Amino acid sequence: MGAAAVVVVCGALVSGSVLAAGPGKARKPASAAPALPAEVLAKLKSEDMTEVRAGLDDVRLAGKDGASAVPQITALLRGGLPYPLAEAAIDTLGDVGSPDAPDVVAPYARHRDPKVRRAAIRALAKATGGGAVATSAPALRGALSDPDAQVRALAATGLGSLKAKVAVRDLFLALDHHVYEAAVSIGQLCDPADCDALVGRLGKIPFDVVTTGIDQLLFRPAAEVTDDQKIAVVDRVRDLGTRDANKFLKNVQGRWAKTGSVKVRREIDAAVMATMSSPGSDS
Amino acid sequence: MRASLACAIAVLGAGACGGGQTGVGVFGASWEDDGGKSIEEVRQRLAGTVITQGADVAVGVAGHGARLVGQPLAGGARWTYAHPIDSRPIVTGRVVVASGGGSLFALDALTGRPLWTRPTGGLALRGAGDDGTVTVATLANAAGAGSTLLAVGRDGSVLRQIERPVELGDPAVVGRLAFVPWGHQYVSVLDVSDGAEVGRVLLREKTSHAWTSGGGLYFGELGMFRFDEKIKDASHGGAHHLGLPARDLPGHPLLMRPGEETVRAIAGAADKIRLYARPTPVGAPLALDGGTFYATYFRLALGLSGDKAHLAWVHTHPSPLIGGAAAEGSLILCDDAGKITTLDGHTGATVGDPLDLGEPVESCTVQADGVHMAGAARDPGPLVQQIRTALADRDLEVGVGQTLLLRELAALPDESATDLLVQLATDPRTALGVLDEARTAIANRRTGARYLIAALDRHYDYLHDVLQPPPVGPIARALAAMNEKGAAPALAAHLLDPATSEKDVRDAAQALDVLATPAEAPALLRFFALYRDAPPTPEEIPEAVNAVAEALLRVGGPAASAVIDAAAREPATNPTVRAKVAALRDAAAAAGGGGTR
Repeated sequence: MGAAAVVVVCGALVSGSVLAAGPGKARKPASAAPALPAEVLAKLKSEDMTEVRAGLDDVRLAGKDGASAVPQITALLRGGLPYPLAEAAIDTLGDVGSPDAPDVVAPYARHRDPKVRRAAIRALAKATGGGAVATSAPALRGALSDPDAQVRALAATGLGSLKAKVAVRDLFLALDHHVYEAAVSIGQLCDPADCDALVGRLGKIPFDVVTTGIDQLLFRPAAEVTDDQKIAVVDRVRDLGTRDANKFLKNVQGRWAKTGSVKVRREIDAAVMATMSSPGSDS
Repeated sequence: MRASLACAIAVLGAGACGGGQTGVGVFGASWEDDGGKSIEEVRQRLAGTVITQGADVAVGVAGHGARLVGQPLAGGARWTYAHPIDSRPIVTGRVVVASGGGSLFALDALTGRPLWTRPTGGLALRGAGDDGTVTVATLANAAGAGSTLLAVGRDGSVLRQIERPVELGDPAVVGRLAFVPWGHQYVSVLDVSDGAEVGRVLLREKTSHAWTSGGGLYFGELGMFRFDEKIKDASHGGAHHLGLPARDLPGHPLLMRPGEETVRAIAGAADKIRLYARPTPVGAPLALDGGTFYATYFRLALGLSGDKAHLAWVHTHPSPLIGGAAAEGSLILCDDAGKITTLDGHTGATVGDPLDLGEPVESCTVQADGVHMAGAARDPGPLVQQIRTALADRDLEVGVGQTLLLRELAALPDESATDLLVQLATDPRTALGVLDEARTAIANRRTGARYLIAALDRHYDYLHDVLQPPPVGPIARALAAMNEKGAAPALAAHLLDPATSEKDVRDAAQALDVLATPAEAPALLRFFALYRDAPPTPEEIPEAVNAVAEALLRVGGPAASAVIDAAAREPATNPTVRAKVAALRDAAAAAGGGGTR
């Protein structure tokens, strides 16, 4: 019996409960997915792991069109794969963007091999659909405490990509524990109080880190972050009166859309002028 | 032989010539064992001689070797005597004998009053004894080899001076007879009046010290021989002898340094790592006072049983212990801050308030002949608590001592000992050596399961600063041995935790083979699926998968059996795992289980 045999046994008798977060959930294959060539699916059923690997590469190259292979890939993962193949299979699911992926991939976010964990976090961060946050965010939040720094960084970034607002507290904790990738996600997700808290990190953690988050919030739509809030943030940066503040503000000024808020734009212009003579400024 | 009768005028001053000359046979190598005849004659001669009680005092070297400070242990006034000090002062009888600045001098031990001074020409003091009328000192010859023995009366007159090409040890004086150890095995008895060697005893253990204590006279170095009616039988091993039980103690402390050594004025490691013991009073069978002996290791003091050297108590001191003496029922210790602390010999409790030499000291010599504990004893708490205090000390100097304490802790059956071991093993500040010992000890625990299970609730958690996972493997082994089924859920959780080390994962899996219930089957299945294809190394993971397979066959039901059957046929399954599960499947089939156990 080959890999497919294990898949069948696991699928039939364990009903996905081995490596799926929700035991017994029968997932339907992605609908309306164009069929992959039969030889690709055959590769995925091979006993030869090299063939399986080649099949995964084929699916990945097919992009979204590879969705029809998702049931087979998830079955492979449920039954277990050698570490490198597990990593490749998870990456493939992430690239295909399968809504089936989070259930199957989440257990791999706690795999012993950090490469597999990183792949799992990358895939979970790409999850889409209404239930994506509910399914993926717990694993990503848990991964903020992972022993591996790269896993922590990927999780912090992924929570922003997922728009997992529930994770903002965790992201702040991560930021304060030197997971600096959390700043961007906080900037993407913060409510007014959280945005204030992020700006409040100025002077406490490196400027370049905090401004990755501030940059995000300044460019968010006014429906999420009001002009007044953005102006207050610009003022906080201007008050630093440093060369770095001037450079950051000039960078934002340069990217500010012509259609963007005139009010905020004026404030940015004024802040750039005010910090031109800051120590070390090259303005 | 060079002019052994010569008076060393140049070295010891004109006064030396007042001393009598000494016969050639003194310390002679041609002596033949007389079967105890001469030493028995000496003993009979001293019958009725009362050995004067020595002064109870602590004497420190202070001011970079510029002065002595003394504090009577009974609490009298502290004294100070300014004089250069170049070797360790000796307290004997009621005097302090010291050398420095080219002279040898004696002080009244309780008051610091100078008694006499003799020039030495730079010879270094090795040992001294005093009987209240005469002081006998041994000094290292300037040339290196050989020794000088000097007997000085209370008025400072030199009664006897002997130079010999042998290494003389630390002498004692009783009734104007000097008992001088030498050659590692002899004690020669010299009559100070005429310099004659009036007796000699051959001892069957390395001996370089003679001293009085509690009204008795003793010889020894490794152990103690008592000068009593049995001393005549010493040459054939019949003397009363007191030894300490063998025990591997940190730093390999000595009861006494070799008496032929000159000890530096400033304390070194050998002063901080020492044994202390006191014989029972004269008249009682020779044994350790209180059935206890003591060891120090920098800032730790240990009370050890006299029979098997089991740890009775441990005292953690605020500063390094550099000197002390075993008193009757207590241990008196002196630290480098100049504080003198009394510990109850049975419990290790501090007794009364510490005495004070008034300033930090570079070394400290204590004589405790007749002093008794006075003052209230502070409850030191149970032994586990004492060990907890000692192990909480982060001073690297006490690290080796902590390893010993950990072994002692491991031997205690108390549940609280289990708790403390777990705390140590999960504290990131715990030194690596101590951590290894703690893990070994935890694996061997058979009490305190609730502490072990509670420890498993802890997982690595970067954001919450839990960076040291619990010792899952040792805990798993202990809980499996205790058959604690209630531990299975927590062990299963660690099985799936990537922060759990490979060895700990294997141990947890093997414990689950014993402890798992059907409730753990999902976690076991998940682990099996994730790692059945694990690479051959680290080998602990395939070993863990094998153990999990066994557990699954026991608790997983038909679904688990089917998964395992399939894995046995799957080429990608780790070969070790494949062989194992195939064997399990075959065994189950042979037993009629049809793929299940």
